[in-house]
Amino acid sequence: DLLQRPQISKCRSPEMETFSCFWTPGSFYNLTVPRILQLLYKKSNEEDWKECPDYITSGQNSCYFNASYTSVWTPYCVQLASKNEVYDKKCFSVDEIVLPDPPVHLNWTLLNTSQTGIHGDIQVRWDPPPTADVRKGWITLEYELQYKEVNETKWKELKPRLSTMAPLYSLKTARDYEIRIRSRQRTSEKFGEFSEILYVSFSQIGIGCDRCTEEVEFPWFLVVVFGVCGLAVTVISIMLSKQPRLKMLIFPPVPVPKIKGIDPDLLKKGKLDEVNSILACHDSYKTQLYSDDLWVEFIELDIEDPDEKNRASDTDRLLSEDHLKSHNCLGAKDDDSGRASCCEPDIPETDFSASDTCDATSDSDQFKKAAEKEEDLLCLDRQDNDESLPSFANTDPQGQHRNTQSENSLLWAPFGDSVESPRPSVHTQISNQNSLTSTDFYAQVSDITPAGRVVLSPGQKAKLGRAQREGCTEQNFTVDNTYFCEADVKKCIAVTSHEENEPHVQEQGYNEDGYFTTESLSTTVANLGASTAAPPSSETPVADYTSIHIVQSPQGLVLNATALPVPDKEFNVSCGYVSTDQLNKIMP
Amino acid sequence: MSTKGASLKGLLLVTLLVSHMLLTKEGVTSLPICPNGSVNCQLSLEELFDRAVKLSHYIHFLSSEMFNEFDERYAQGRGFIAKAVNSCHTASLTTPEDKEQAQQIHHEDLLNIILGVLRSWNDPLIHLASEVQRIKEAPETILWKAVEIEEQNKRLLEGMEKIVGRVQSGEVENDIYTPWDGLPSLQLADEDSRLFAFYNLLHCLRRDSHKIDNYLKVLKCRLIHDNNC
Repeated sequence: DLLQRPQISKCRSPEMETFSCFWTPGSFYNLTVPRILQLLYKKSNEEDWKECPDYITSGQNSCYFNASYTSVWTPYCVQLASKNEVYDKKCFSVDEIVLPDPPVHLNWTLLNTSQTGIHGDIQVRWDPPPTADVRKGWITLEYELQYKEVNETKWKELKPRLSTMAPLYSLKTARDYEIRIRSRQRTSEKFGEFSEILYVSFSQIGIGCDRCTEEVEFPWFLVVVFGVCGLAVTVISIMLSKQPRLKMLIFPPVPVPKIKGIDPDLLKKGKLDEVNSILACHDSYKTQLYSDDLWVEFIELDIEDPDEKNRASDTDRLLSEDHLKSHNCLGAKDDDSGRASCCEPDIPETDFSASDTCDATSDSDQFKKAAEKEEDLLCLDRQDNDESLPSFANTDPQGQHRNTQSENSLLWAPFGDSVESPRPSVHTQISNQNSLTSTDFYAQVSDITPAGRVVLSPGQKAKLGRAQREGCTEQNFTVDNTYFCEADVKKCIAVTSHEENEPHVQEQGYNEDGYFTTESLSTTVANLGASTAAPPSSETPVADYTSIHIVQSPQGLVLNATALPVPDKEFNVSCGYVSTDQLNKIMP
Repeated sequence: MSTKGASLKGLLLVTLLVSHMLLTKEGVTSLPICPNGSVNCQLSLEELFDRAVKLSHYIHFLSSEMFNEFDERYAQGRGFIAKAVNSCHTASLTTPEDKEQAQQIHHEDLLNIILGVLRSWNDPLIHLASEVQRIKEAPETILWKAVEIEEQNKRLLEGMEKIVGRVQSGEVENDIYTPWDGLPSLQLADEDSRLFAFYNLLHCLRRDSHKIDNYLKVLKCRLIHDNNC
């Protein structure tokens, strides 16, 4: 056991005329001679500590100060000490320690009972504590009444009141009650002790409810039943009502989860390859919405195919329709013209089993458009299973893998007009110097740097069959089998520009990613009847790279020829392309 | 912007507090002056005392709460209580210290004492209301209470002077008054000393307002109800 010091537990004045202090002796007491503890007190304006005048009246371990020792608003300090040591000290003034005695003479009278006799009102009266001089106004008391049924545990409280009577309403006559009251000085916070308990029993005065029926409880059961019925009626009436708006409001249609481009049947059938390929179309797509203006600014499009104006889907040009359907990739032929109402212009209804609920948000619209372009772009990757894609002949070589569906009809038209006229290059602003008609050079994207730059890499030369092009032999194409300098090719193509009505990008042997390489382009050019292209200078494995400055997908890539420093004069700087090796040296 | 918001909040809080107080207490301000509407209307002494007791109780209630709030907010852990053998500036006034003395003192003298204490607190309350605003981060409730106490004290003083005019047969003595010189201590640079000065002042205010409340109740019971409240 811990040794506890003697402590002054409290000092209390019941009526603001006398006060007492109480202490606990602690465990020291047993070890020492009794009565060695002393209580000393001092008034504020005095110097000496005086001893307690009365150790008896208030009981053991107490000190009683009668009225002659008590000055109400004077600060006192009391001190519990033995001969050698001060154990505890307290300072206070008497008006701060007032805790009245409990009220006395509690009684109750019946006010009235209810008609059924189940409830009754009573009036409780009491007298103020006898010690408190309320009559002369020396102390003003406040009373708090608490009551409860006999077998309950929690007391109910009434608000503190100044008067010495209180009504209690609506007590159950069949039950017995207990009442207790306590008081406090009016501006204090602490209450004194509770009075004795007053028992209220109605049966004693003959009002006991022998014939009382069971108390009427709230008819929960009826409430629930009627509530459920009403709700059911309301729901049924709404469902049956012809008002679609109301129906929509209360029962909004639940959108069916769907991934664009994926036929749920694929998953069921377990064709994971196709699913993977399609899912990959969605990967790492940056949702960037670009205005048409950028598209216009950076990419020059020629419409070779007179049908193309009507074609909304550029993927049509890139992919054969058979191919599309077999791979379930996007880009099925899709006429955008009637597309006002539905929100998914790019997904042909026929290809997908899930019924689409129109996702009406414009964001999703845009995203879908963008996603579709992405798919168009990347879907080309996945065509390696099928190398026979002759329908690429349909494709326009000019970046149509990045095309917005709905804008096609708008965009293509002006470009269509400009087929004949020479236009600045699609690729870069730098290449504006070209006077040739626009010719796009496709590049295989080998890497995308964290900075957002796309590193183009050469395609493979193995599968390409090159046609020769006459008129261009005098050009010194600094090209391995990957890229032509744009300028060079354009010069060649200019010769045959009038023949660009035909889709001139033929499907050549494909490399794995299915992008067009300039080889295929060159073959296309060759197909125009031009002379063969210069044979690839295989001894100079210098690929012409361009770093992509801005990936403005879906509209296209802005190729920035000067983005990289070109320290090496080996380059054909005029082309503005950087070869792979150089690129590897330059890039960190 | 934030101060504006804070002062708006403070205003709302004040409004709520005041309305709450006025609703829960007996209306301090709502008694009509002349219920009968007569020309030469005069409040009866009973009504005057009723109002005076209500005001004094209200002032003591506010002082008590203000002291408690200040104690909670600033005095914890600073050991103010241990040092609080505080002497109030009104200690020089001889006031009844227990019931016996209050019983025996003549009611006119007691009224004069009450007036003296109220007058002595006029000045400190004005300065309290202004200086408490300089306490760092003083809660709105303390600020508002200081202002309210100062106002109510003025009204109580007026009421007491009316009562004294009615009750007193002789001339009114104005000499019971203690000047207050505690203003410099409220403006000390050292925050601890300054807060201790406030603590003392609020402690004294609570005590003196309790005294006045008690004296008035004693007088009311004695004069109006004939010692049978």
